[in-house]
Amino acid sequence: MSEDAERMSAVAAKTASDAGRPPPRRFSLRSAPLELRMLALAIIIAVTLSLLSPYFLKTNNLLNLLDQSVTTGIVSIGMTFVILTGGIDLSVGSVVGLTGVILGLALRHFPIPVAIALATLSGAGIGLFSGLLIAYFDLAAFVITLGVMAIGRSLAYIFSGQTSMSDIPPQLNDIVYTTVLGVQTNVLTLLALYALAWAYLTYTKGGRTIYAVGSNREAARTAGLNVLFYSVLPYVVSGALSAVAATLMSAQILSIDPLAGTGLELDAIAAVVIGGASLYGGRGTIIGTLIGVFIMVMIRNGLNLLGVSPFWQGSAIGAIIIAAVLAERLLSPHTRR
Amino acid sequence: MDLATPLLEARAISKNFAQTRALVDARLALRPGVTHALLGANGAGKSTLSRVISGHVRRDAGEIVYGGQPLDVRSPREALDAGIAMVMQETSLAPDLSVLENIFLPDLGRPGRLSRSAMRRRAGEILADLGQEHVLPLDVEARDLSAAQRQLVEIAKALALQAKLIIFDEPTASLSPSEVERLFDVIGRLEAAQCAIVFVSHRLEEVFAISEEITVMREGRTVAASQPTSSLNQTELIRLMVGRDIGSIYAASAAPSEERAAPILSVRALSAPPLVRDVSFDLHRGEILGLGGLVGAGRSETVETLFGLRPRAGGEVEFEGRPFAPRAPAQAIRAGIGFVAEDRRRQSIVPDLSVRENLLLGHLGAHRGFGLGYGRLDRRITELMRRLELPSERLADPNLLNFSGGMQQKIIIARWLLLEPKVLLLDEPTKGVDIGTRASIYAILRDIAAEGAAILIVSSEFEELLGLADRVIVISDGVSIADMPTAYLDEEKLTLMAAPRTSMERNRRLLQELADQCDGAAFWAILDHERVFCLNAATANASADPSLRAGAAPRFEETPIGAALKARAADFVADPASGLKSLVVDVRSHRGHELGSIGVVVPAGASPPPAEAMRAAIQERFRATL
Repeated sequence: MSEDAERMSAVAAKTASDAGRPPPRRFSLRSAPLELRMLALAIIIAVTLSLLSPYFLKTNNLLNLLDQSVTTGIVSIGMTFVILTGGIDLSVGSVVGLTGVILGLALRHFPIPVAIALATLSGAGIGLFSGLLIAYFDLAAFVITLGVMAIGRSLAYIFSGQTSMSDIPPQLNDIVYTTVLGVQTNVLTLLALYALAWAYLTYTKGGRTIYAVGSNREAARTAGLNVLFYSVLPYVVSGALSAVAATLMSAQILSIDPLAGTGLELDAIAAVVIGGASLYGGRGTIIGTLIGVFIMVMIRNGLNLLGVSPFWQGSAIGAIIIAAVLAERLLSPHTRR
Repeated sequence: MDLATPLLEARAISKNFAQTRALVDARLALRPGVTHALLGANGAGKSTLSRVISGHVRRDAGEIVYGGQPLDVRSPREALDAGIAMVMQETSLAPDLSVLENIFLPDLGRPGRLSRSAMRRRAGEILADLGQEHVLPLDVEARDLSAAQRQLVEIAKALALQAKLIIFDEPTASLSPSEVERLFDVIGRLEAAQCAIVFVSHRLEEVFAISEEITVMREGRTVAASQPTSSLNQTELIRLMVGRDIGSIYAASAAPSEERAAPILSVRALSAPPLVRDVSFDLHRGEILGLGGLVGAGRSETVETLFGLRPRAGGEVEFEGRPFAPRAPAQAIRAGIGFVAEDRRRQSIVPDLSVRENLLLGHLGAHRGFGLGYGRLDRRITELMRRLELPSERLADPNLLNFSGGMQQKIIIARWLLLEPKVLLLDEPTKGVDIGTRASIYAILRDIAAEGAAILIVSSEFEELLGLADRVIVISDGVSIADMPTAYLDEEKLTLMAAPRTSMERNRRLLQELADQCDGAAFWAILDHERVFCLNAATANASADPSLRAGAAPRFEETPIGAALKARAADFVADPASGLKSLVVDVRSHRGHELGSIGVVVPAGASPPPAEAMRAAIQERFRATL
């Protein structure tokens, strides 16, 4: 018999008497919801930056911050889905590059909506490919998406003819620069996608299944949940959203570079992890990820405003990621595995 | 038996894990050259006490005297240096290292040079002392060893350090019967070398076979210390382990009704290798059916196969009269089957979901639709919580792992009751559950059975099966070998029926030879004062058929050989009604353990072979194979 079993039954014997009483609660940083803790961190960073740089809180800079959040933010939604199931998607950056190139090629032959649909579908298809390999054959997500990452970038070069494509119809620009109530559509898209993702993860069978699969795959299967489907779906979402990000990026600069999105996977993973998700799966929220994205973008923006050398920025961001994860581990009420 | 002073004496040991009292005033005295059995129900604290002695766990209070000196080991390493070793269930071998390297693994951590040739010589000597030099190649990687070989490496590892005290924690759990015999021989040699042995096991028959003294623990306390094994019998031991008349927590189960409607679940020759080989039974509405047997007999695997968690290799299952072959739990759930799995932490609890969502997880699996459909269930959940005597406000707790084992199990049971299953499968539902919660789990199971659900319960605790179930199916080595109402059974019969056998087939062949030899019939059975519990039978001559079939338990007078069964005489007894002449021979193992009886039947007209020679031949032939 395992020690655990003994302990469990001893706990049972002990708590049988006080089963009726709820455990005492007191407020502390440990028990506060994760999003609150991260929001506090974001506010601290924002206040610090506004003290250090008078430009930080200017309306223009804040809008600029939102604008800069779009690509990382959208990709991070898919990354959150994947990480919640206990997986990882290293291919998002090169999928952004490849689907951008596919968009550019499609725009030569089809109207804009059709081209966008084709790019999004190809992103979803790439995600389906990775997801099936990972979930059906039980292969390591890290390795599969690393492979897809290399293939994606290579195809992006080949399809684009190794050069950036600038024959983009200028009307594409409209999908970014149309404003509603003074806010650009790309920012609105970002916020709308976050709202959708939040509702999906909170209020639908699929969303809760994603959490259950990431938290305890075996228990999810035993409870009759469709583990295979909901292990693949996050990769499909991630691929499709990478294509959406690529579309918005191309629309903004009216040029498509096969190198687009290089290193994006690291920013997205960092945002999700800073947002409090566990890389083991099952733990994390979409709101946390959004805050994580803002923290990342604010730090980059702040470092630029402060004139910190780009060479030092990597060190600063890396240190912040490590500090965030360490803090989460130290503050986590139950350490798992 | 020598009366040397104890090698180790532990007194008033206590140990708390967080707020859990695992040990309260535990004591244990061990003498050199004596095998000491440490017994107790799940959670009694025997593993914890073993781990305190072996340095894996530090005690909170109490004293240990070892070889006349106070002992305070802080790590397994220090215990090993003192000569105390533990051979664990989950062995602690390094899978990539060779047998030789594993035996001397503790030496690898010491400074200085190692001489491989000296190591090899020493390993050879150790294995020769154990009489096992041919069993264990020294250059094989540990990952390729069988469970028994791995255990042998652990023992050799302990001896390489000149261990004087070796603790075996459930050493036979994954061994075949012949490997168990070999282990017992090794333990015998260790005794002869004046080692003190602690033998932790659930299998009472092994405890009787191997140990000289017994210490029984219950709820962290030692309730019987160093009793001579010969002074105790099985019933007394169980009473000591359980601590009270277990019957009181089981309400009287309804008398088995002989006439039943068609079964809701009918299983025929189910196989799912390697553990499930040939399992057949019927489950009816309103019935609680027990699946008994030893750990590893294939009971869990049987229910997991029925639930679609394991691929099925053969056999037929009918659910509500239609063929039923779920490939995934979702199919079984939608058909109306619920499953409370054995390993709560691994198979049931989703730690990152709230208690409420854990309760609703089965619903989520069965639910068709995009949304959650939680809202409609609020009233039913409240009612279930009340029925299970759980406070509703605890549903909002974020983590089910903070609950006691009993409350966790109630939530998991509620998960399935919410779906109102037609069939509920439960695998060890009271493992790690306190006795108070057990009683309420039993009560609710009985309630839902009365409401028409069919319940199939797997349990290693025979008294639980006997107290709760209406009928018991006994599974041994993946084969269902008996199906009888619990009213006829007691723990002793269940134990014998469940005992692992090398192979029923081999046993059947021996019976067949015996039947052929007398041109009659032969059977293997357990006899009590009114019934014969047939374990196996073979017939060579139809006119001598005693109409006993394996798994049946007719009254003596219902068989055509009733007179012989009643008399159990030294000679063949002719039955006044049928005229069949039969001899019943009780068989004991060479360790003196009862193995039931072998019967030989010859036709009415035939003259029986000489009884004395027959008796000797049967003893000789069956002793080793039963």
